[in-house]
Amino acid sequence: MRTDELEHDLKTLAEPKAGDEQLRAAIRGLIGEQLQAPQSRRPTRLMFGAAAVASATVAAAILSLLGTTGSGGPSSADAAILAHVARTMSPPANLIVHVKETGTLSQGTSVAVEWWQETNAPYALRLIKGPMGQEVEGAADGTTSSQFDAATNTVYRHPDSSPPTLVDPIESVRAALNAGTAQIAGTATISGRLLYKVELPKGVVGYFDRTTYRPVYLDNPEGNGGVVRTQVVAYEELPLTPENERLLSITAQHPGASVETESARPPKQTSEPAKPK
Amino acid sequence: MEDEKVMEVRALDAAIARPRLGWVDPDAALVAAAREEPQAFLALYDRYFERVLGYVRLRIRDEPTCEDIASTVFTTALAQLRRFRGDGTFAGWLFQIARNAVRDVQRRPAAAPLPEETISSEPDAEERLLAHERAAQLHTLIRTLPPEQQHLLSLRYGAGLAFDEIGAIFGATPGTVRVRMHRILEQLRRRYPDED
Repeated sequence: MRTDELEHDLKTLAEPKAGDEQLRAAIRGLIGEQLQAPQSRRPTRLMFGAAAVASATVAAAILSLLGTTGSGGPSSADAAILAHVARTMSPPANLIVHVKETGTLSQGTSVAVEWWQETNAPYALRLIKGPMGQEVEGAADGTTSSQFDAATNTVYRHPDSSPPTLVDPIESVRAALNAGTAQIAGTATISGRLLYKVELPKGVVGYFDRTTYRPVYLDNPEGNGGVVRTQVVAYEELPLTPENERLLSITAQHPGASVETESARPPKQTSEPAKPK
Repeated sequence: MEDEKVMEVRALDAAIARPRLGWVDPDAALVAAAREEPQAFLALYDRYFERVLGYVRLRIRDEPTCEDIASTVFTTALAQLRRFRGDGTFAGWLFQIARNAVRDVQRRPAAAPLPEETISSEPDAEERLLAHERAAQLHTLIRTLPPEQQHLLSLRYGAGLAFDEIGAIFGATPGTVRVRMHRILEQLRRRYPDED
């Protein structure tokens, strides 16, 4: 008995069975009944736990996109629009999703994030983000994480077996749509463009194209009472061709850069470590 | 200046709601959402249904019991979510519920076995019987392992978690998990006969 044969047999014990989808639906029904109970319906606001503090900023931002929709479900027309939007934003496997968002913070700083990611395992990705002119660039492919230091034209690479999940910048919007927690609020005209307006809790608003159902703008409230409007300047699905795969590779994008491996780290002035996750 | 730059990048993170670079509990946002609006728990359920079911199947042979346990795990998790303090990963907490549920079932007195399926004269019946027997044999072997090792093995081969995900649950490095897993497999392998 070889180890790989044993591993195969172990996986066989746990493999899905024909009736799993019915079981999934049945347990979902039970959970639904549990959610109907009065004590479960009452929203509670609990502080994050200690370990979650590290992700609190992100969690809070995502939370703001996942809250309640109030009582009653959407009208059938609204539901159809939301379903279209959700479908548009749920890319199939074997593609690369490319998203670029830009915005201006309240103090006037222009910021942007651009992201390329495979839609199936290992969900390899590359991203560029930060204030204009001071962007940081990172990549991960399930076996290594890399970051590019423009100052020294060096790619720093270290082993990282944690495969990225599909977490493009608007994954939280996608999750809200799929969870049924988004709500149509009519239409809005921005820069002469008539868009579907989708309300999300805590003042977050998404604006979607009325033909393609793709995201165009997101309004994100700031703690100081202001709102940061980010524009989704690109949201596209690219075929997984060798040429497009190069978009996921930091070394392919910087062929002249030297590559430092293992425990090497970029100089501190290149901002925070860029392990995409 | 450096601080300002970092702050700006963080503000962008918040503004466009994308995950921060570096390790975070991948479920933190959904957990927080589910605390605020319990309907959001369904997203956690969908994320973990197959994994929990796989975990249980590696530990329990009887399929109806597996289904009962899976149901118990999720209804318990929903009921207890407010008690999850977030000082570990949500996955770790959820699979601890699964582990306890499995333990509770295994502690019960064994029920009278259901009648075995009649083996038909179909061509692949013998093959299916052999597979069934090997599965039973492997289940029995797994149950001889210490509970912690059963848990670890089920997280890996039942739930299909990666070494780093398991490491996050146990507070260990992926390398440490890999080494422990190797030892467990070696133990099993020595006692698990070849097919022939």
